[in-house]
Amino acid sequence: MTVAQRNARIGRIGLYTLLVWICLFFSIPLLVVIATSLKSSDEVRTFSIFTLPSAPGIDAWIKAWSSACTGLNCGGVRVGFWNSVRILIPSVIISVMAGAVTGYALSHWRIRGANVIMLLLLFCAFIPYQVILYPLVKTFSTIGIYSSLPCIVAVHIVFGLPVMSLLFRNFYAGLPEELVKAARIDGAGFWRIFAFVMLPMSVNILIVATILQTTGIWNDYLLGLIFAGRDNMPMTVQLNAIATTSTGVIEYNVNTAAALLTALPPLLIYFVSGRYFVRGITAGAVKG
Amino acid sequence: MTISGSRLPAAEGVSTAPRIGRAYRVRSLAAKLALVPTLLVMLSCYYGSVTWTVYISMTRSFLLPVYKFAGTAQYERLFATPRWQVAYGNMFVFGALDIIGTLGLGILLAILLDRAVRFEGVFRTIMLYPLSISFIVTGLTWQWVLSPTIGFQHLVRDLGWTDFVFDWITQPDRAIYTLVFAGIWHQSGLIMAIMLAGLRGVDREIWRAARIEGIPTWRTYVSIILPMLRPLIVTCVVLIAIAVVKSYDLVVAMTNGGPGFSSDLPGKFVVDFEFERANIGQASAAATVMLGSVLAIVSPYLYFELARKNR
Amino acid sequence: MSAVSVSGLSKSFGHLRVLKDIDLPIEAGDFTVLLGPSGCGKSTLLNAIAGLEDTDGGVIEIDGADVTHREPSKRGIAMVFQSYALYPTMSVRKNLSFGLRVRSVPRQEVVRRVDWAARLLQIDELLDRKPSQLSGGQRQRVAIGRALVQHAKVFLFDEPLSNLDAKLRTEMRVELKRLHKELGATIIYVTHDQIEAMTLATRIAVMRAGRIEQYAAPDDLYEAPATLFVASFVGSPAMNFMRGRLLAGNAPVVQVGSAHLPLNGYRFRTSPAPGQEVVVGIRPEHVELARDAPQERIMDAETLFMEPMGADTLGWFQFGEHRLSARLVPQVARGVSGRVGLAVLSDHISLFDPSSEARL
Repeated sequence: MTVAQRNARIGRIGLYTLLVWICLFFSIPLLVVIATSLKSSDEVRTFSIFTLPSAPGIDAWIKAWSSACTGLNCGGVRVGFWNSVRILIPSVIISVMAGAVTGYALSHWRIRGANVIMLLLLFCAFIPYQVILYPLVKTFSTIGIYSSLPCIVAVHIVFGLPVMSLLFRNFYAGLPEELVKAARIDGAGFWRIFAFVMLPMSVNILIVATILQTTGIWNDYLLGLIFAGRDNMPMTVQLNAIATTSTGVIEYNVNTAAALLTALPPLLIYFVSGRYFVRGITAGAVKG
Repeated sequence: MTISGSRLPAAEGVSTAPRIGRAYRVRSLAAKLALVPTLLVMLSCYYGSVTWTVYISMTRSFLLPVYKFAGTAQYERLFATPRWQVAYGNMFVFGALDIIGTLGLGILLAILLDRAVRFEGVFRTIMLYPLSISFIVTGLTWQWVLSPTIGFQHLVRDLGWTDFVFDWITQPDRAIYTLVFAGIWHQSGLIMAIMLAGLRGVDREIWRAARIEGIPTWRTYVSIILPMLRPLIVTCVVLIAIAVVKSYDLVVAMTNGGPGFSSDLPGKFVVDFEFERANIGQASAAATVMLGSVLAIVSPYLYFELARKNR
Repeated sequence: MSAVSVSGLSKSFGHLRVLKDIDLPIEAGDFTVLLGPSGCGKSTLLNAIAGLEDTDGGVIEIDGADVTHREPSKRGIAMVFQSYALYPTMSVRKNLSFGLRVRSVPRQEVVRRVDWAARLLQIDELLDRKPSQLSGGQRQRVAIGRALVQHAKVFLFDEPLSNLDAKLRTEMRVELKRLHKELGATIIYVTHDQIEAMTLATRIAVMRAGRIEQYAAPDDLYEAPATLFVASFVGSPAMNFMRGRLLAGNAPVVQVGSAHLPLNGYRFRTSPAPGQEVVVGIRPEHVELARDAPQERIMDAETLFMEPMGADTLGWFQFGEHRLSARLVPQVARGVSGRVGLAVLSDHISLFDPSSEARL
């Protein structure tokens, strides 16, 4: 082996070593949480989270799921789980569809001021929730639906609209114009072209959008806390309540189990869909 | 006598030209109608709300909105409030460290993966999974990891260094820095993915030219490749900065603003004052300052982006 | 000024053998062109000489030193790329000086070299501009300048003119020839354009499917092509090919169709066998309308059509199973039609073996 080749080999080893160390930085917090959640209640009294469980068991998981206490009730995160599901499904479906139609309208139809609209949407995507919280609260309570399931669904749709619209708009703008023109000559109208030409070609972007919205809505805390109402609190809110209720001994095994249960759905989606997830996050991030 | 659509309105279906013209206008109308809900939402929920909030911030509101104009009185009170001073200052401290750390790690990882040939899929999967985890879980996890009683300090002491101290999360003047760990952990993967795509888009002949000139690899990245990706890096900075301004979930889960208010951030300040403290005036003023910060970051960015694309 | 010597060079990409046992002895000061169709391996060969690609066998020597396993920057070479590969965020001046500064060349020397190259290539007024503000031809000159300041022993060019329009290309060709004369540098140049090769090169290596078919001066390639491929690739309009047979006798003659063409003075490389099947090659400018030739040498052909090309007209004729082209003076061409007799300038015939395609 020549000097150059040996140096290259050392460089390679150093490179992969560094990568492995950094991967440890990313994985250890999760591994530690998993390990803690498998510990028994005795082990958790005075311990370090960096130790492995001596007798791993899922008791903590069962307790976290069904009987952990949030200070208001002791029903575990199961309550939150189903609440999150009930919030998630209508929110995702409607916001994705609304975004798709909006993006479609802005890309293939000559709308005067389309560029202005897109710029306005882009600004909306950057506005922090906190700035428009109070007006929304006031408006919903005036209408009378504040603190309810329809309220939180509506809120998620409102907050998802700019990003979804821009996401779909950019995608549809990349599709050839001839498709729409040919369909128009054939006599199809706005909605028919959407249903029969655009949607069939949108499978990829629909998956990406759905993943983006699902992850965002499932992981949301602030909006759920404020708009969902006591009976519809999402899992993240339940989790925080459980983990910060400090009556007596802190049951870290239960808290970590609850955290894992909350993190599991988006994590599973991530592991299953890999490429789509990445595309969604980067597309949602690099808007336009 | 020739038959033409315009002369026989009853038979306008006969000639194609007017029919297409009319149908075009109809279809275009459908598109405009389809946009109306979105436009309504945008104008009322976003721009309307923003205007409302800004207006309240200039009134003498306290518990309930009182629409008596008060100029900048709310802002003066706001910036005289110690808790806000801490929160606002924290935003810059946290922001600067988070941006430098996340950007630095993200770019480093992108470069490493650009060089590495094997196992890229595995590495990417490990680096990106934190993005799928909510800020609540992220915050709780790092709270546990950095806790002196059960976390890192405990571990090191167990290993033998019994005098080791790492209790930043319980120290008022250090607590804000702990948020940086969580922030970097959560978002570096995203920056890595964006920058890696950018690195891969660079013309490979530039690499060959640099190699022939004898320019070492690290120097090529620093002096040639990364400067070429400046617009992308700016985009990344903007993204991280916006996330910092919006932060709420992370603070709540990790330190809940504590100890005391030492790790408070504007995002949490606004929500606390709006609901717990029920001081609409102060909350609106704080929210408007948040909005101003975002605009200060985004406007020049968008302006330069548009200028660049139009060139 | 350095000599480059390539011996026994081979390279494979997986199962695909891209370079097969290449031998290329290049003399110092030569302008060698690697010419061939896409996929023939010319760019791979250039990259191998540069050190950008590893090889699976063979030796590369520059100036007598074995550089086969050396990094590109240690071989004393400089390279100009098809897409110029200028550093986009640096000014022209910085583009030219960056490599030198990285190698710790003293400040004054750097300035001296940059100014010299800029003046030589007439880009001294562009030194403070960025590549995006330059035209294609200007960028090309900066790329050449970057190679010049390296004070390399050998200059490598990878299809540098393909991205330029036709007019610019002819201008740059003149520039390159002038540079070669002034600097006396050893140049290895890759192109698929045979006119470019013929005008620029001192010697051309015609490549096909990973092998060098012939390595010779342009005139030799033109007059005495070593293989059927070289004969058909070099020269425009292309050479005519006909099937024929060698006839036994005192004076060697080749029979094509009904015509007997004399081969006086033909230098055979291998002893010819009577009755041997051959391919006869003759360029259009060496085919003419028969006047006072003996009857047996005349090829009886049918006129097909005329192709006016400006200074001459290319006439197309059908002779038996063969289609022949002949360069004619336009005035004469106008009167040509129907059956004509064609004759061949026998000094310029090339003979090839039909199976091996090698020159006889």
